[in-house]
Amino acid sequence: MNQTDRPIANPIVVLREEFDDWAVLFNPDTAEAVGTNPVGVAVWKRMDGKRSIEDIAAEIKNSFEDAPDAAFKEIAAFVNRLAENGFVGLELESK
Amino acid sequence: MPEELKDKTEPTVSKVMRTPRSLIIEITSRCNLRCRYCYFFNNPAMVYRDLPANEWLTFFDELGSLGVMKVTLAGGEPFIREDLPVLLEGIVRNRMRFSFLSNGGLINDEIAAFMAGTGRCEYVQVSVDGSCAEVHDSCRGQGSFDGAIRGIRTLQRHRIRVAVRVTIHRNNVHDLENIAHFLLDELGLPDFGTNSAGYMGTCCGNADDVLLNIEERKEAMATLLRLTAKYDGRISSNAGPLTDGRMWRRMEEARAQGKPAFHNGGRLTACGCPNNKISVRADGAIVPCNMLAHVELGRINHDSLAEIWQNSPALNQLRNRHSIPLTGFEFCAGCSYIPYCTGNCPGLGYTLTGMVDHPSPDACLRRFLEEGGAIA
Ligand code: SF4
Ligand code: SF4
Repeated sequence: MNQTDRPIANPIVVLREEFDDWAVLFNPDTAEAVGTNPVGVAVWKRMDGKRSIEDIAAEIKNSFEDAPDAAFKEIAAFVNRLAENGFVGLELESK
Repeated sequence: MPEELKDKTEPTVSKVMRTPRSLIIEITSRCNLRCRYCYFFNNPAMVYRDLPANEWLTFFDELGSLGVMKVTLAGGEPFIREDLPVLLEGIVRNRMRFSFLSNGGLINDEIAAFMAGTGRCEYVQVSVDGSCAEVHDSCRGQGSFDGAIRGIRTLQRHRIRVAVRVTIHRNNVHDLENIAHFLLDELGLPDFGTNSAGYMGTCCGNADDVLLNIEERKEAMATLLRLTAKYDGRISSNAGPLTDGRMWRRMEEARAQGKPAFHNGGRLTACGCPNNKISVRADGAIVPCNMLAHVELGRINHDSLAEIWQNSPALNQLRNRHSIPLTGFEFCAGCSYIPYCTGNCPGLGYTLTGMVDHPSPDACLRRFLEEGGAIA
């Protein structure tokens, strides 16, 4: 996935915000679950097929204290991992 | 995601998950069988009334909005409901998975194909209590063995995972070796679980014929421990002789060697279920667990499940049971196992003593030994 790609959250996936600092993304079709933290939740909620990974990373940096410079890389890796497991797709460019 | 990033929006502080992950739902109070050890029937806490499908569908919508991941449909016998496909569609629509606790006898190709088609069925647990009809039917009624095996084969044909549960009682305790061979070698199941008949519901009236006596408990423990070694972990349990046998062995070793107290030892610590899941009776009453059917927390579609889950005093009292020390019970006075004991299941504790916050006498190692038991 490139930084200009616009990821879109799979609507079948359930977001469970379990505790204050921990959440689970659950795919009922495959029974796979991915644990994540508030930043992951914030990323998840922004994957609407309209924002690029770059846009999302910029918004996260504004919302969270002490976001390190590596935040973009980590967010991109997180989105890629979700994409590999079918939790996330890509909004295709309309030509 | 990087753990060091902190959300600037203030989250609420909570020790329990915001909503339950899973529910056990007694979807019906009807059953095609009348087993001699059934915990469900002849339970004074139970109201034997079924809700129409639309009530369940409304409730499933609520579960979907709360992010519940899974429901287990029990009963009674859940496959007795003629409107099961409609109910399953409601579960699937709300992004949940499902499983069943069943006697197997009413499972046919049509419903199995439907379930398989949803792609959301985790497993169907079918009760098999014997290696042959004579043993199985002794407690569950004539024809029930054939029904269970037919059900299992139907599920297997549709590639639905089958999880067999063997309930151990006086009539099958001598058949355990054959049962293991039948289930694992002949039926080709990957594994099976065990428990034992407990003093609840119909079983209370048949206790003398059904419940294991001390000698039979010893035999069941020894046989199951031997069979788990032979079948390399393919036999499991959450309760019953195998769990007792393993736990009591650890407790005795720790006591003899003067080991430090177990984690959570010395206090009323049970299964931890009230932190993950909650149950609903067939009449729609929300209860902490099927074994605590008398503790009504509210009603579906009248009370908010999230509100009950987070704030019910009765539920929170159960969750805090671990703060009650065993040293405070007359029952446990002077017992050398206290640092290693957890008091076990509150449901069985309640039926045997009338108190939820009491150790279960059924799982009491000291009592077992005093009555002539021995650790396998
Ligand atoms: S134990 Fe299960 S199958 Fe047997 S009568 Fe009770 S509900 Fe029905
Ligand atoms: S008396 Fe029984 S329940 Fe109490 S601590 Fe001893 S073994 Fe456990």
